[in-house]
Amino acid sequence: MSRSLLHLALLALALFTMLNTGCTPDLVEETTYLTPLGAEFMSQQAPPRVSRPSFVDPRGPRMDPNEIPGRYPFYWTRAIYSGWGRRGWGQSWATDYPKGDQQFLVVLKRLVRLNAYDWDNAIRLDDPTLRRFPIVYAVEVGGMDMTNSEVEGLRNYLDAGGFLIVDDFWGQREWDVFEYNIRRVYPDHPIVDITLDHPIYSAYYDIEEVKQVPAIGRAMYPAECYGCVPYVKGIYDEAGRLVVIINFNTDLGDAWEWAEDPRYPLEYSTYAYEMGANMIVYAMSH
Amino acid sequence: MERIFEFLFKYPPLFFEQGDFTFGAPMSVRLWLIIAGLLGAATVASYTIARGKSTVTDRGVMAGLRVLLLAVIIVCLLQPSLILSTVVPQQNFVGILIDDSQSMLLADENGEPRNSFINKEFASDESELLGQLSDRFALRFFRFSDVAGRIDSPSELAYEGTHTNLSRALDVAREELSGVPLSGLVMITDGADNDNQPLAESLVPLQAAGVPVFTVGLGEESITPDIELGRIEMPRAVLEGSSLTVDVVITQTGFEGSTVPLIVEDELQIIAEETVELGPDGEPVVARIYFELEGVGPRRVSFRIPPQPGERVNRNNARSVQVEIRGEREKVLYFEGEPRFEVKFMRRAVAEDENIQLVVLQRTAESKFLRLDVDDGSELEFGFPTSREELYRYRALILGSVEASFFTHDQLQMIADFVSERGGGLLLLGGHGAFAEGGWQGTSVEEVMPVVLTSPADDPQGFFAEVKVTPTPAGLTHPAVLLGVEQDQVREQWDSLPTVTTVNPISQVRPGATTLLSGSGEQLALEQIVLAFQRYGRGKSIALTIQDSWLWQMHADVPLEDQSHEIFWQQMIRWLVDGVPEAVEAVTDREQVEPGENVRLVTNVGDSSYIEVNNATVTARITSPTGIVEDLPVSWTVQRDGEYSVEFRPLEEGEYEVEVTAERNGETLGSDKTYLYTAPSDDEYFSASRRTQTLRRIADETGGRFYTPEDVSSLPEDIRVTGAGVTLIEELDLWDMPFLFLLLLMFMGAEWGFRRIRGLI
Repeated sequence: MSRSLLHLALLALALFTMLNTGCTPDLVEETTYLTPLGAEFMSQQAPPRVSRPSFVDPRGPRMDPNEIPGRYPFYWTRAIYSGWGRRGWGQSWATDYPKGDQQFLVVLKRLVRLNAYDWDNAIRLDDPTLRRFPIVYAVEVGGMDMTNSEVEGLRNYLDAGGFLIVDDFWGQREWDVFEYNIRRVYPDHPIVDITLDHPIYSAYYDIEEVKQVPAIGRAMYPAECYGCVPYVKGIYDEAGRLVVIINFNTDLGDAWEWAEDPRYPLEYSTYAYEMGANMIVYAMSH
Repeated sequence: MERIFEFLFKYPPLFFEQGDFTFGAPMSVRLWLIIAGLLGAATVASYTIARGKSTVTDRGVMAGLRVLLLAVIIVCLLQPSLILSTVVPQQNFVGILIDDSQSMLLADENGEPRNSFINKEFASDESELLGQLSDRFALRFFRFSDVAGRIDSPSELAYEGTHTNLSRALDVAREELSGVPLSGLVMITDGADNDNQPLAESLVPLQAAGVPVFTVGLGEESITPDIELGRIEMPRAVLEGSSLTVDVVITQTGFEGSTVPLIVEDELQIIAEETVELGPDGEPVVARIYFELEGVGPRRVSFRIPPQPGERVNRNNARSVQVEIRGEREKVLYFEGEPRFEVKFMRRAVAEDENIQLVVLQRTAESKFLRLDVDDGSELEFGFPTSREELYRYRALILGSVEASFFTHDQLQMIADFVSERGGGLLLLGGHGAFAEGGWQGTSVEEVMPVVLTSPADDPQGFFAEVKVTPTPAGLTHPAVLLGVEQDQVREQWDSLPTVTTVNPISQVRPGATTLLSGSGEQLALEQIVLAFQRYGRGKSIALTIQDSWLWQMHADVPLEDQSHEIFWQQMIRWLVDGVPEAVEAVTDREQVEPGENVRLVTNVGDSSYIEVNNATVTARITSPTGIVEDLPVSWTVQRDGEYSVEFRPLEEGEYEVEVTAERNGETLGSDKTYLYTAPSDDEYFSASRRTQTLRRIADETGGRFYTPEDVSSLPEDIRVTGAGVTLIEELDLWDMPFLFLLLLMFMGAEWGFRRIRGLI
């Protein structure tokens, strides 16, 4: 294209734009930003940035060494487990960490009258200190490959009264990986659907539908795998008590982490926080 | 001793106690004293004037002895005598009360039963004692055990009485002989009264009537060797599945330091056994024994020690206690101010206890509550109860980490009344919203707490300390903190549990409160009170000042199979609801009686707010062992608000069921059930040694005397002198007492001896 033709085209475009702007101002749509639950609060109290776990420090930051467990009735605790993970270096446990944990705590403390430690608390499954925190959160368990000591640690933890919340893994392959690992912990305990009549759905909020919560990068396309359906499943102990809750084909953690992001749909972040509050209130009372 | 006295002074001591001393000389005593003074002066003068080789001291001693000699002579010349009031022969009556209870058949150390004395001295025509009594008095015989009555002759005694009631015996004899001149009562018994009626009420009328009681004590003061089961401390009703801790008092003589088995049986099945080491002779030991009872309903639990070699009495080695196993679910309200793991783990700990319904009300946000284990959707619908009727439905209340400002003033007062008036159990847990940190100082509930609250720490982060918990000496024997292990392992078991934490520094209990668990730690300046309790009004309050007892279940140091946490909470909550009264509550004055004995049924009646009701219609339905049903109206006693009572007499042997129902204006206020066991009693074989103290008291307070079979021979003469009735005045000369003659000889001999020693002869 010659230089004169280019100039002509640019001029035409400018004229067209000017005409449209001036004649039909009511057709211009104002961009609407969704405000996720708790976002305005978080803007006032943004958690400090904490570096993600690295190859040098694969275990990530831990609780403040000066903090004595017990000062607070509740510590939001993340399970550190061995695995290969899609993020490399065996760090699938650290997905959304620590921002997701910290934001979750900020909002959770606003929603629930919970006297909780303000910061994240990641701990290995074979660390005896885990037994001081009766709720533990394990994420992206599709990359899990627990050592024998972790298996024993988790089994003892659950038998002693601990509660495991599993989240963010998708598709049959990742399910198989998780099932293999949890079967090493509880070989004979069936994994069952937690249907909507279960009290966990009404422990704090009344939840009437299990939603598929997408990751931030796929907010427009909920499923990370084709045809995946969200499930909430669980494992009961011998006394009939729910000890493991499994959020499959869904990613509550991403909703917690990115709730303040205007691109993230309010519907999913709301559901994620509601489900999180319910799981914690239920696990602290049952 | 008494015989020597009588030899020296001519008459027995009793005569001197009872009689009035006087002089029978014709001239006045003053004149005699003047004569005595003159004679004495003359004597002293003669010794003073006399000269020789004697010194002044010698003369003084001899003059003194001579004056004393003269004084004795003067006393004799004064004709001293005793004025005695003695009963007129055969014009007075004497009641002879003879113990007719089973304990009279117990053999003494010589092998002879106690009643052999009665047979020999009162049932035999050849008895000298009976003869002397008959010569002086008209005799009336009575027998007594739990009842008392006239008999014609002691040969009618059967010794089958299963109780001994001394008061009743005295009352019956006094009343029967009230119309005749009564010189006194003679009571022949071992004194082992086991009806526990106050003696004073029977002694006062006798004192007023001037009737002396002469007691003759039979049996030994100590039966050796012997073991006896004493008091058994056991609740009358417990929840099904409760672990019972029962204290059994064992007394013994002759088995010092030996060990014996204590066996507990339920329906002839051994349910517990404990080896007991006996202490020094005569000192009781308290054996603590633990067991559980299965099933629901009334039970007879037997405690026994097998007869030991050489033991004198075997029938006092066993006792039975009535206990009712209640199958109800006891409702306990646990109000927690925020989500805490204490809720989860406490619920898990008591989940399998079918007799505990732990209703949880947990505040999850402002004005938002989670309700767990409620009966229906209306229970606690609006949060914490706002009326007494609503709160008093629960038998116990647990307050978690909830600040005082959450409650209204009325609710705080209601919580205090829940303990003091309703009689409920209150447990206060530690936490950020509890005790002083929760602003409970100055509230109505603070007074109920067994601990002293101090001002919260200034630290904005608040107080926080790790605590190692240890049982106190009181805790080592308290069932709530035994953790299901043997008593000697309790301390070790607590030592094995991990440290817990507290945010409430509490180091002082209220006067009267008991500390069961205490704690220490690096962050604690003073010893932490971990578990303390006190009675408050009709109920009790308990403070558990830690905030995470769940660590005793969850901590990695606790083996998975360890049941300490579960047992701790089950026992705590059972203790909390133990003894909490119902609005309508019935109880009999005794749990076991003999067929034909009267029983008093007392019923306390209150409305749903536990306010006493005096205008209720109360009915007792009594079902006998053979199924005969009798309905009795129970009347208000008037003395106390809400108290109703009725007496009835069970005639059959076995278990009686008593169901009490209270109504007001056609509306049922409540009902309660209690049980009564009727059977022949073995009480006569317990504490069967002679009660000398009791018998002496009866004699002393009425002006009589106490005797044993060895010194009873003076009884007829003593009654003659001390007795009441138709009497005459006797004057007994004393001038010829051997004692005065001996004094004369002594003074004369002394002077003679003195002179010999000093060479004055």
